[in-house]
Amino acid sequence: MKASRIYTYAAALIIGLSACNKQLDTAPSNAVSEDIVLKNVDNLSTISEGTWAAMMDDFYGGTFSNPGFKTIALTSDAMANDVALITTKYGFPTAYRFTQMNDKTQARVSAIWGQLYKIINNSNIIIANADKVEGDATAKQVLKGQALALRAHTYLTIASFYQFSFLKDSLAKTAPIYTTPTTAATQGNPKASLKEIYELIFSDLLQAKALLANYERPAKYKINADVVNGLLARAYLNTGRWELAAAAADEAQRNYPLMVPAEYSKGFNDVGNSEWIWGHPEIPSQSDGSYSFHFLDVSSASSYYYSFMADPFFAELFDAGDIRKTLFSWDGSTAAREGYLQYKKFKFRADQTADLVLMRSAEVILIKAEGYARAGNLNEGINALNQLRTARGAKTFASEGATQESLIKEVLIERRKELWGEGFGLSDIIRNQLAVVRKPYVDGSSNDIKVTVVTPGGVTKQVNAKYHTALSFSDQSNFVANSPYYIFVVPQAEEQNNPNLNK
Amino acid sequence: MFKKNVTLVLTLLLSTGLFAQQRQLQGQVLAAENRQPLPGVTVRINRTSFGTATDQDGRFQLNLPGNKTVLSVSFIGRETVETEVREGDANITILLKPANTTLDEVVTVAYTNVKRSGYPGAVSTVSADKINNRLTPNVTNALQGLVTGLQTTSANGQPGNSSTIRIRGVGSINASSAPLFVVDGAPYDGDINALNAADIASISVLKDAAAANLYGSRAANGVIIITTKQGKKGESAVNAVFNQGWSSRAVKDYDKINTDQYFQLYWEALRNKQLTNGQTPTQAAATASARVVSDLGINPYGPNFAEPVGTDGKIVAGARPLWNDDWEKGIQQSGKYTQAQLSFSGGSDKSTYYVSGGYVNNEGAYMGSGFKRYNIRSNITLQAKPWLKVGLNVTGSSSAQDYPASSDSRTDNVVLVGRTIPSFYPIYQRNADGSYKLDANGQKQFDYGAYRPSAALARENLIGSLPLDKNRYTNENISARTFLEASLIKTLKFKTSYNIDYVNNNSLVYTNPLVGGDAEIGGTISKGNGRKLIYTWNNIFTYDIDLLSGHHLNLLAGQEYYYFNNSTLSGSRQKFVLPDLYEPAAASQLNDFSGISDNYTKLSFFGQGQYNYLNRYYFTASVRRDGSSRFSPDSRWGTFWSTGASWRISEEAFLRSVGWLNTLTLKGSYGASGNDNLSSYYAYLALFDIKNNLGNGGVITSRLATPGLKWESNLNLNIGLDFGLFDNRLYGTINYYNRTSKDLLYAKPMAPSTGFGSISANIGALRNTGVELELNVIPVRTRDFKWNIGLNVAHNKNKITELPQKEIISGTKKLMVGSSIYEFYLREWAGVDAKTGNPLWYQTGADGKKVTTTNYASATQYYAGSALPDVTGGFTNTLNYKNFELSFLLAYSIGGKVLDLDYVSLLSGAASPGRNWSTELLERWTPEHTNTDVPRLTTDNLNWTSTSTRFLYSATYARLKTVSLGYSLPAQLLSRIGIGSLKVYALGENLLTFYGHQGMDPEQSVDGTTYYQYPAMKTFSLGLQIGF
Repeated sequence: MKASRIYTYAAALIIGLSACNKQLDTAPSNAVSEDIVLKNVDNLSTISEGTWAAMMDDFYGGTFSNPGFKTIALTSDAMANDVALITTKYGFPTAYRFTQMNDKTQARVSAIWGQLYKIINNSNIIIANADKVEGDATAKQVLKGQALALRAHTYLTIASFYQFSFLKDSLAKTAPIYTTPTTAATQGNPKASLKEIYELIFSDLLQAKALLANYERPAKYKINADVVNGLLARAYLNTGRWELAAAAADEAQRNYPLMVPAEYSKGFNDVGNSEWIWGHPEIPSQSDGSYSFHFLDVSSASSYYYSFMADPFFAELFDAGDIRKTLFSWDGSTAAREGYLQYKKFKFRADQTADLVLMRSAEVILIKAEGYARAGNLNEGINALNQLRTARGAKTFASEGATQESLIKEVLIERRKELWGEGFGLSDIIRNQLAVVRKPYVDGSSNDIKVTVVTPGGVTKQVNAKYHTALSFSDQSNFVANSPYYIFVVPQAEEQNNPNLNK
Repeated sequence: MFKKNVTLVLTLLLSTGLFAQQRQLQGQVLAAENRQPLPGVTVRINRTSFGTATDQDGRFQLNLPGNKTVLSVSFIGRETVETEVREGDANITILLKPANTTLDEVVTVAYTNVKRSGYPGAVSTVSADKINNRLTPNVTNALQGLVTGLQTTSANGQPGNSSTIRIRGVGSINASSAPLFVVDGAPYDGDINALNAADIASISVLKDAAAANLYGSRAANGVIIITTKQGKKGESAVNAVFNQGWSSRAVKDYDKINTDQYFQLYWEALRNKQLTNGQTPTQAAATASARVVSDLGINPYGPNFAEPVGTDGKIVAGARPLWNDDWEKGIQQSGKYTQAQLSFSGGSDKSTYYVSGGYVNNEGAYMGSGFKRYNIRSNITLQAKPWLKVGLNVTGSSSAQDYPASSDSRTDNVVLVGRTIPSFYPIYQRNADGSYKLDANGQKQFDYGAYRPSAALARENLIGSLPLDKNRYTNENISARTFLEASLIKTLKFKTSYNIDYVNNNSLVYTNPLVGGDAEIGGTISKGNGRKLIYTWNNIFTYDIDLLSGHHLNLLAGQEYYYFNNSTLSGSRQKFVLPDLYEPAAASQLNDFSGISDNYTKLSFFGQGQYNYLNRYYFTASVRRDGSSRFSPDSRWGTFWSTGASWRISEEAFLRSVGWLNTLTLKGSYGASGNDNLSSYYAYLALFDIKNNLGNGGVITSRLATPGLKWESNLNLNIGLDFGLFDNRLYGTINYYNRTSKDLLYAKPMAPSTGFGSISANIGALRNTGVELELNVIPVRTRDFKWNIGLNVAHNKNKITELPQKEIISGTKKLMVGSSIYEFYLREWAGVDAKTGNPLWYQTGADGKKVTTTNYASATQYYAGSALPDVTGGFTNTLNYKNFELSFLLAYSIGGKVLDLDYVSLLSGAASPGRNWSTELLERWTPEHTNTDVPRLTTDNLNWTSTSTRFLYSATYARLKTVSLGYSLPAQLLSRIGIGSLKVYALGENLLTFYGHQGMDPEQSVDGTTYYQYPAMKTFSLGLQIGF
């Protein structure tokens, strides 16, 4: 009797246990386990989409001051010559004053680094599995090609900002390389030299070019052969392979005619623009990247910070008749903004979104011009430069009396004029081993130059022009070429947790 | 029936013994304190009903069976004594001590109740009177200072917010360090805000292994057991309480400079900047005078003074501000506090009941903030059959919290409005001459200040827009505790209980389409719903037996299943069709729609044995096995255990006669508990987060696979001593503990270049050691005048004892073996260079020399002290004189540091023109005033406000948490009008705060950082309590 009761209890317990034990298996609803992702090419391609969204539309490090991949572009321009940043505004004053990107403890430093390598690891997962998973062979090729190109683009970004110019010292140790997916056992790789990084970039891009040869993309955010050519052109230009740069640039721009002048003043927010080779469309439900316009857009009432004002000297680079010159205006809208120079290149759409540009034919045409110029082919170089100048209504560059030096100088100035706000400010300074140039906008007796502004009430008045406020490095020393202040530092977390970093 | 039968059997058994062998015993029972005989004392043999009572002289006479016998001697108001009578004892004297109500009370511990005296575990209790009538709707806020070793911080003081609680230090780095809440026998996962403090009968805080570890995997950070009120047999009572009060900020905000000072200092900064730009002093002064107004965007001195600051840097003669608008005053409101409670309780032989309803309305000190709650509760216990008891406790609450942004540096934070915007920016639009700009209806119009620099919150005027916006969180909470208890035989009970918590919460965040930050995009609305369903089902057998000869055994075995489901739904839209519409249906553009669901389950088996001999020697042991869904099937089961023992030394014969010693108990316990409380519910899978892209499905890596991840375990040693002296007028407890957390569930940092910031791992160990003293003194105890003093002191030391790597830096802290978990690691401020007025920091060069540097980025980080306090505690006093009662509680925290980065925003000075400046900036460096800690003024950012030890302040403080003064009307008087009792009183909460750093509320987060949080509030109220 007693024994049987014990057995009954025991049996009940065991049944109860096994029933409940099953309940201990749970699964998430907002995440997917690895085995599902690696099942077939369709599933694997979700990594490609997710990585892209994370690159463009994550607030890096979770702060509004880092609106996606555009953060790097904004930082680059804030640290260069032509953006006279309003330093009372949120986001970029410390970068602008050179007290941020050289400080390994700053949040932005680790946010950018972490996100770039997250993109690399996700690309590595696709590259490692694309050939293995089930599915359509062409789809696999395209997926792998795009992942290789995205990986190359990410390493190219790293090579452009985390070390001096390749032409200064190609053996300089820069950042670690990873080509396989990270596992729990991954320790951290040592810093590779610029040379090693560019070798990987070229190998990835050339493979990608072959894999994407026949690919027709459904949208401009997808990487196709034209984008790959554009990336190749940038990489060749960085490494001094001038003819190859010019050739790749020429290939990249063929399907993307320069926009007509009227388009230029429409706000740089439309991926459908004829000359955008690569760009990211933004929609209201996926618009974190659009937040970059709160800094760049200095004329829409809905812009929060409008802090990327133009340096008065920058405006002086433009000729009369240039469509771009019409975008300048001395701000008189409120007392606090009086005397700042607006450059109304970037504008929000009405719903506070804006598409994000990553590569335009104007840029690759200037690569072509620079490549030819540096290779000594002045005619082709001048042609390319004037192709752009003509399209913008600017004075053409006269071939008479032109020297290689004068042409290169003009091309570099044209890059500043054409690509303002698109992120090439600091990377060009590093690449060309130049010093930052920022001067006070004053008259001969050091008094601020007066400019005329119109208040919202229609009254015109004379106010002091606003110009750069950080005229030297933070230690009061003068701007010089190849200064460590220009280089993005490796974050403290990497130093601390990668035992192999400097091996 | 059962009972009678068993007694009969036992009686028969004993009788057999009695007749077999008998001897006679005589004895006397005396009061221990004065050796006076005690008449009427019950003396029983071997815990049977056999026995006798003492006569007028305290004497008794008994016939004893056998040679080994135990006598139980009990008397109301005195501690029961069990004593062994040996062979040959013919005449004994027994001393009875007065009972100490606190040390002798019955307390609730894991799954059972125990008598505190002799119990080996470390338990602190809070009685109803300490928490029932407090001016805070959240019970966690009422615990501060009442429990030894319990540290609470209320970082955000919005009405309805709870405090962070840490028991005996911080026990984990990445997993949760929060204690488990248990309400009426089951883990409580409802909203802590839904609990009505007025319904609470007692709170037990379980601090050591013996008391808590039967909760196994949830016991690692201590357990707080809340028991609600039950009716009492034979009494029926009606009670009503009403409080009406007023709230405001407990401490004043930081001091700021006035308009004249502001304009003069800003002028100085502009002048200095122009000097460094190469202008002559005259040019620089002129430029500065010309620019002050345009930089600040406003001229509060009116059009008659176009340049209000002269070239001498002084406000020109005759100029004075035409307005002085206090934004801090404008954004604050006079918050009312209303509380009402009505309860009915009573019972008969077959049933008891407690039914109550409560209401509280706690308006905040800042506009738009407040908390309102309605509660009902019904606790019923029925004796369905003589052997069967059933119970049902049900409570429901509905609350609404109006919660404007009150943390973070966001511009719509209500706390920042007054702190940020100087008084020279008008709240209402003004003409240049200072008069108000009125609209067509003659009304003043709010000034949204598009002209203000962004440092002065341009385009915002919360005073105007907040009443038009909504930030409302509503919460419906239902909790039921049901049980069925069967006495199978007298010694064996079976109890099954099913407990459910259901929380439904809704959030509605609406910004209006007319004015303020979101007017541009037509207003926004986001609405969310969360549903939480938690149930716990447990089945427990208890076997409790008194054996012959003073042995007492209590065995418990049980099983428990825990289920948690959280399901959320949220969406947001923008662009309202028309104003005055507040729901998503009225907004035209869909921004987001999302929702998730998570399950978390746990299955447990447990057992416990408690044994005591002669109520003198106690032993307990417990074991529990838990399986958690958070871990992989291979590593989800963990075993947790405890052992404990105590010795009531004062019960020994050699101490029984020491009159001044009433209680002396030595106790100790040791055991292992667990913690699985990671942020992830799926802490073993390799996961990809959903990350959709432009309508295409997307995923991205989120965590690496960790199949071997398992429980964090917590080894807890406690040694304690309970004492009661001098007629128990001095009594208390001292405890020493050593808590070691090992296999910490830790986000082990990875090189970020691997694409992962960290991987979950069981690594590292942490130790909390400490001493706790709880001391109660009764200096006066007469019929008319009683005075009780309570003091509790806890010292805790937190130390990391093991890490996977040499050091881990996270934010402003660095972890290293030997340091504490919240140890600041900062650049060290080296003062202001007396020659240049520039800020300096320290830097240790390669040669190991410490030198100063002007370059912040190259300054070295150093350890700069811990955020954790050295000593925390409370001091209570209760004075009763006739019908008056005065009591207060002072809570204190000594030691530790706070990094006040809130304050930094008031120090950025001319680098952020338009924002308020602290009065400390008046101390800035000038060529004449070189010995200072504030650098020179300039419009450049000198970086001196970058995070450094400059902004580290002492966290020591004391707060008068509660004061109450009451008067009970004489009962004879009341009985004439049919009222049982009537008490009128005044209450105060947080009335006084003693602290060092002006402007900063000393209660900040546990890790010593600030986050622009809503400060604590003080409340004063008058109340009435009436009973029938």
